[in-house]
Amino acid sequence: MPPVRNRLEYSFMEQFVQQIVNGVLIGLVYSLLAIGLTLVWGVMNVLNFAHGDFLMLGMFLSYWLYTLAGIDPLFSIPINAVALFLLGMFIYRFIISKVMKGPGLAQLVVTFGISIFLSNVAALIWTPNFRSIEHTLLSGTWDISGIKLSIPKFVSSIGSILASFGVFWFLRNTRTGKAILAVEMDREAALIMGINTERINSLSFAIGSALVGVAGALLATYYYIYPFVGGTFGLVCFCIVALGGFGSIEGAFIAGILVGVVQTLGGYIFDPSYKLAIVFAMYLITVWIRPQGLKGW
Amino acid sequence: MQNISGKQLAAGGAVLALLVILPLVSSSFGQHVMIITFMFAMCGVAWNVMGGYAGMFSFGQVAFFGIGAYTSSFMVLTFHLSPWIGLVAGGVLSALLAALIGYPCSKLRGHYFAIASIAFAEIVRIVFNNWKTVGAAEGLTLPMVKESMAHFMFHSSKLPYYYIMLLFLLLAVAVCYWVSTSKMGYYFRAIKESHEIAEVLGVNVVRYRLFAIMISAFLTSMAGTFYAQYILYIDPESVMILAISVQIVLVAMLGGASTVLGPVVGAAILIPLSEYSRAWLGYKGTGADMILYGTLITIIAMYQPAGVWGAFNSRMRGGK
Amino acid sequence: MRRALMVCMVFIVALSLCTGPALAEQKVIKIGALYPLTGNLAATGMDCKRGADLAVEIINGKFDLNLPFAKEEGIPGLGGAKIELIYADTKGDPKNGLAEAERLITQEHVVALIGAYQSAVTKTASQAAERLKIPFVCSDSSSPTLTERDFTYFFRVSPHDGTMARNQFEFLKDLEKQKGKKIKTVALIYENTEFGANVAKMQQQYAKEFGYEVVADIPYPANSSDVTSEVGKLISAKPDVVMHAAYITDAILFTKTFKEMNLVPQGFLNMAGYIESDYLPTVKADGDYFYVRSTFALDLAKKKPMVGQVAALYQKQYNIPMGENTARSFSAPFVLADAFNRAKSTEPEAVVKALLETNIPGDQIINPWKGIQFDPKSHQNIHASAMLVQILDQAYYTVWPFDAASRDLVWPFPAWKGRK
Repeated sequence: MPPVRNRLEYSFMEQFVQQIVNGVLIGLVYSLLAIGLTLVWGVMNVLNFAHGDFLMLGMFLSYWLYTLAGIDPLFSIPINAVALFLLGMFIYRFIISKVMKGPGLAQLVVTFGISIFLSNVAALIWTPNFRSIEHTLLSGTWDISGIKLSIPKFVSSIGSILASFGVFWFLRNTRTGKAILAVEMDREAALIMGINTERINSLSFAIGSALVGVAGALLATYYYIYPFVGGTFGLVCFCIVALGGFGSIEGAFIAGILVGVVQTLGGYIFDPSYKLAIVFAMYLITVWIRPQGLKGW
Repeated sequence: MQNISGKQLAAGGAVLALLVILPLVSSSFGQHVMIITFMFAMCGVAWNVMGGYAGMFSFGQVAFFGIGAYTSSFMVLTFHLSPWIGLVAGGVLSALLAALIGYPCSKLRGHYFAIASIAFAEIVRIVFNNWKTVGAAEGLTLPMVKESMAHFMFHSSKLPYYYIMLLFLLLAVAVCYWVSTSKMGYYFRAIKESHEIAEVLGVNVVRYRLFAIMISAFLTSMAGTFYAQYILYIDPESVMILAISVQIVLVAMLGGASTVLGPVVGAAILIPLSEYSRAWLGYKGTGADMILYGTLITIIAMYQPAGVWGAFNSRMRGGK
Repeated sequence: MRRALMVCMVFIVALSLCTGPALAEQKVIKIGALYPLTGNLAATGMDCKRGADLAVEIINGKFDLNLPFAKEEGIPGLGGAKIELIYADTKGDPKNGLAEAERLITQEHVVALIGAYQSAVTKTASQAAERLKIPFVCSDSSSPTLTERDFTYFFRVSPHDGTMARNQFEFLKDLEKQKGKKIKTVALIYENTEFGANVAKMQQQYAKEFGYEVVADIPYPANSSDVTSEVGKLISAKPDVVMHAAYITDAILFTKTFKEMNLVPQGFLNMAGYIESDYLPTVKADGDYFYVRSTFALDLAKKKPMVGQVAALYQKQYNIPMGENTARSFSAPFVLADAFNRAKSTEPEAVVKALLETNIPGDQIINPWKGIQFDPKSHQNIHASAMLVQILDQAYYTVWPFDAASRDLVWPFPAWKGRK
């Protein structure tokens, strides 16, 4: 084999900074996805395999609103949030709640079944073909002294930050939010205190889904859309939630950015084919030192 | 399940006799479905040892499956050794690796352990995907040689594969039965209930957790070697992906975790369901088979959250 | 307890017995077709299915086309017998490829197989065919290893990655010689799977042979959610030419990231995903100026009017333009029909003998090759090769070999900025 020379020394610093920027941008989207997941996980102890498929539904909803009604994905954010909130509530009421009392991980089988069902029904109705939204309000790239900043990605991360802080504020400052946190910390105690845990469950599942809906609208501005797109994000999200600590919103937020940066920077400096291995190794080392994750208890 | 009654023994014998005769009258595809069913049943039983009894929900079983497949294939291709030697070597290697990774993970609880097992399996997959010595992404192709028991390869009929897999499954069930009734099984259950109490009672938690992982890894690795010899082509995309780990957990959960035969029943439902629905409906390309599959496992889990066999078992016991 | 076991037993017996052997009809020749019809690669699998369907329709019906058996109904050598395709879904899993190939052969009694798109699946499916002694004609998998096994029953119509990698470098040499361009370095970027790794291995080999320096060799995990680090590495390596091997998901994401991060080499030589029928509708004008290796383009119609007729037929039937995947799967049924016709039989041994003597002239195929003839040992079509198409104004145009070009190529790659 001829010697392969990666001319890394050339404009190394510029690409280095560029990769950190890119890492933060994708990391913030991970954060938003992970916050929805960690809320469900923390409150109900349910590992939601259908999370990525909710994302897919959100993306398709934005796509159809854009194609059929001319609504820009940016404006479909509230519609997405409401629609996915209702869907989440519906799925919780009629499916998940039925297995909440079951032992072990029966919920896991159920969410896995829902995941297969949703992605394949989407492929049946909308065909398995690929789509994307052209010419949104956001397109193009800013060039800030050599560092490229994609406008849709930038706006998505701003949206992600706003949504994350919105949830954070809601949980800390409203009665319902505090009730959710209480259930997350100790279900039995919350029950004794008179909190309707069933309502809290359904609410947190719905909020988790709504967040994914928002993420779907944001991603739809620059990502391809097809029925199996959820699988692309699923695994990384599980890792982020665990890294941040189950049920910890701050943890998921920080871990999302961390994973984004480690992944892009690791891929750039070492070898892209090892970039996920670096992320997983980081998780293993973290929990080895701190078994409850970064911010868990 | 501690005392097997005469009736149970007779029923078991009858099932076994049926399983021995059945392939002789079924089609080649029917044999294939049963072979794959047994393979996943075996993996499910192995998962049960650590997941169902010792309470470590592993989503990384595929790492052991893959190492089993790779070890024997690599030894066949490089040292021209019989796959049977590779089978044992793969099992030992998997068990050692399981101990190595299981030790630092032994203090992890619940979901943290589950995600750690995924992380471990993914790292193994990525390493194999880049490791040139074992074929990297191109995988390993086993050449078709003369069929014989020593080569662990049969072309004219699937029957030898069938009976070998059946024996493997019986071995796994026997090991699981032994574990569940031995002192070790009680320790496992104590650990599952509470680490702290188990420790207070004088159970060496780390040691017994490692035992559980190693037994599970060895059995899963055997199934991996079988897969390689049966399919004759392996690459990380087909023997090391998360989907297989998930399938193994599904088989165990749906049948009933912490029962010896639960995973076998789970596999007997799930695998034929997916194989036959694909054969009947898949050709249209509508995804109808996957929709059916998703719907059915959701419904089964909703109405039998303790697993099909688990529910059946406790009802029988309650009735007596 | 006993009842439980009884239920179990009945269940297993019922399942294994419910598939009785089907009676093979004499008038209809059954060919099994394996494709990933559901799941991740379903869009691609359906493309392949449409191509094979159209081919069978032409063989069975009466069409005024210069294709084998188009003008008469059915296969004359077998008394006008018609072909029926029996599809099976592999879901892209090698295990399913093996199982479905066996099922089609033993239960549906197909006399030959075609498929299966992904090389890994074709590998196990053709193994099953070899064991059961049934011919397998592959026209869509490109791994060189498939024809290195010297199977008796396996034949491949389409070019493999080795040939196609060689064609890419021949193109670069021609560019230098005939168009006076200066090219020194190439960067290889590929998904780290059976497909991508094989392509890269071949490209490494030919880069050396043709005297180009490989300045970056970047494998990456397929279906990534973000590929900025991969593109960052390419930017740092400053290659003259980027060669990308990817399926459609990554092709779309990379295209967007190339643009976002402003990577402008002299040229991109891409493959596979960049020529899927979904690619251009998804990325639209961002796909312009990429070169893609191909065995088919709609503009072949200029030299071979028959291609235009077939494409029009396809467009009418399915309401989408005919593309590379469709064209590949289109050829296999003709090769088999031709073999059945000359063998006057569907017996495997006779068909294999006929396949070895296959000699379909170039004017009777929709690809730009001299024809179809199989190498007696490897069973690879010796005339198969790739051409290069360039995406211009959101359509594929043949630009190399230069004598077959329908439009002048654009080289170097125009900057992203000035575009609309």
